[in-house]
Amino acid sequence: MVEHTPNIQLFDVRFSYPGGHSQVLDIDKLTVEPGEQIALIGSTGAGKSTLLKLLDGRLLGWSGRAEVLGRALSPRRPQPRRWQADVGLVFQDFSLIERATVFDNVRIGRLGRTEHRHLSLIGRFTDRDALAVETAIRDVGLEDLAEQRVDRLSGGQRQRVGVARCLAQEPRILLADEPVSNLDPASAETVLCVLKECAASRGATLIISSHQPKMVREFVERVIGLKQGRIVFDRPVGALTPGDLTGLYGWQVADVAA
Amino acid sequence: MRPHKEARTQIERNKPPTRSAEWSGFTFTVVIGILVVWGLIDTGIDPSRLAASGPRVWAFLDRMFPPDWSVLPTVVDASVETFHIALLGTVASVVFSSVLGALAAESVTPRFIHMPVKWLLATIRAIPLILVAMLMVGAVGLGPLPGILAIAFHSTGMLAKFYAEAIEGVPARSLESLDSAGATWLQKMRFGAWPNMAPDLVRDTLFRFELNIRESLVLGLVGAGGIGFYIQTYVRAFQYDKAATLTIVVILFVVLIEMVNHFLRTLLK
Repeated sequence: MVEHTPNIQLFDVRFSYPGGHSQVLDIDKLTVEPGEQIALIGSTGAGKSTLLKLLDGRLLGWSGRAEVLGRALSPRRPQPRRWQADVGLVFQDFSLIERATVFDNVRIGRLGRTEHRHLSLIGRFTDRDALAVETAIRDVGLEDLAEQRVDRLSGGQRQRVGVARCLAQEPRILLADEPVSNLDPASAETVLCVLKECAASRGATLIISSHQPKMVREFVERVIGLKQGRIVFDRPVGALTPGDLTGLYGWQVADVAA
Repeated sequence: MRPHKEARTQIERNKPPTRSAEWSGFTFTVVIGILVVWGLIDTGIDPSRLAASGPRVWAFLDRMFPPDWSVLPTVVDASVETFHIALLGTVASVVFSSVLGALAAESVTPRFIHMPVKWLLATIRAIPLILVAMLMVGAVGLGPLPGILAIAFHSTGMLAKFYAEAIEGVPARSLESLDSAGATWLQKMRFGAWPNMAPDLVRDTLFRFELNIRESLVLGLVGAGGIGFYIQTYVRAFQYDKAATLTIVVILFVVLIEMVNHFLRTLLK
């Protein structure tokens, strides 16, 4: 029998920016099982992006214990390339290479995966890489724009390039940092559907951060509320109460009213 | 309406006091005026002499036309040699600049490396091409070789600076996605940094090549090959009809290079 291990385990994780007074992350315990679909909600500055960066293995200088995909993360140095390829992130600001085409941007997702680590430098990728890139571009519906430079695309199209790059990576954990904040409701729904279906068909864990809880709750099974770096609730989406959201956003409403 | 008021006070705060602005403008005008008058006195320029030179200019032009087309093959050959000097000099300069440019980029090397390299490049830029060419002729003898070396040396000062700026201009944030995907350092350079800076590098190199073409026209004056030798020969021997052919060829040559360069630059946009 295969020993059961969660995808993600965090214990007593704390983080604050150098010189900063308040904790950006202050998490006592968080466990995520393989294949779970989770929304991470909270207002701007609640620590959602920082938590995703930690799970993506690129946050340095935190304390505590974090295990992702069976590997204890180091708070002091970057994670190995193989591990990094198993965790994919859709960036909030897309983080695209502006002067490269859609195809070339999506292919970046293959850099950690390809068997041709050195040959890739002269543009030689495997057939498997090419297939993954084409599939990802088709999944987000950009096949007609594959040879366009990304700096000529609209905000919504650029967002979908970011999603396709992450899908091409074929990660076991798929993280998405505010993937719909720049989109109109119809495009937002398309992007969330694509993320959900791709994660489900590959058995990957999906964690989507958002400050629009109403939009994402239809696409996930579990919702985690984050406020000032702390987890204030963590429950199945069906058990979510209006009080949960008021607790999370209440101060904002009060702030606007004042 | 509060935000408007706040915005205006912000602008007013940033604006320097009017009186001192007027004073600095006045001072500037006076200083420039003094420098111009000093220049006129020092060089002994007499406007009446310029006015009286009309007939001489006319005689000069009269001796240039019609151009003596018999020297055309010689002049074209020499132009081709100038082109080759500029081309080979630029290629050599690209090689040196790639190394020195990377060393001079603040985002790539530590301060104790990039600062000395930046000073070295500034020093190279400060030496005029004609002086470098004379030194090279002294070192390796007459012909195109000293010309190529001089162009390579001289243009590295500018090109390496441009390359360093292109490397420094690559936003570190755009490379985060490559880290996230598990890319190696070389892959990050190739797929993240290179596409962002390649158009700038090509544009800068074409610009420098165009400058090298113009500057290499005079290399022959000091024996470093190319068309400059004939400029000197014809003008000193008062063979203005031959010099006219040469002038026409040089103009066509430079215009042609500029057109090709302009076309290549539009491809990069």
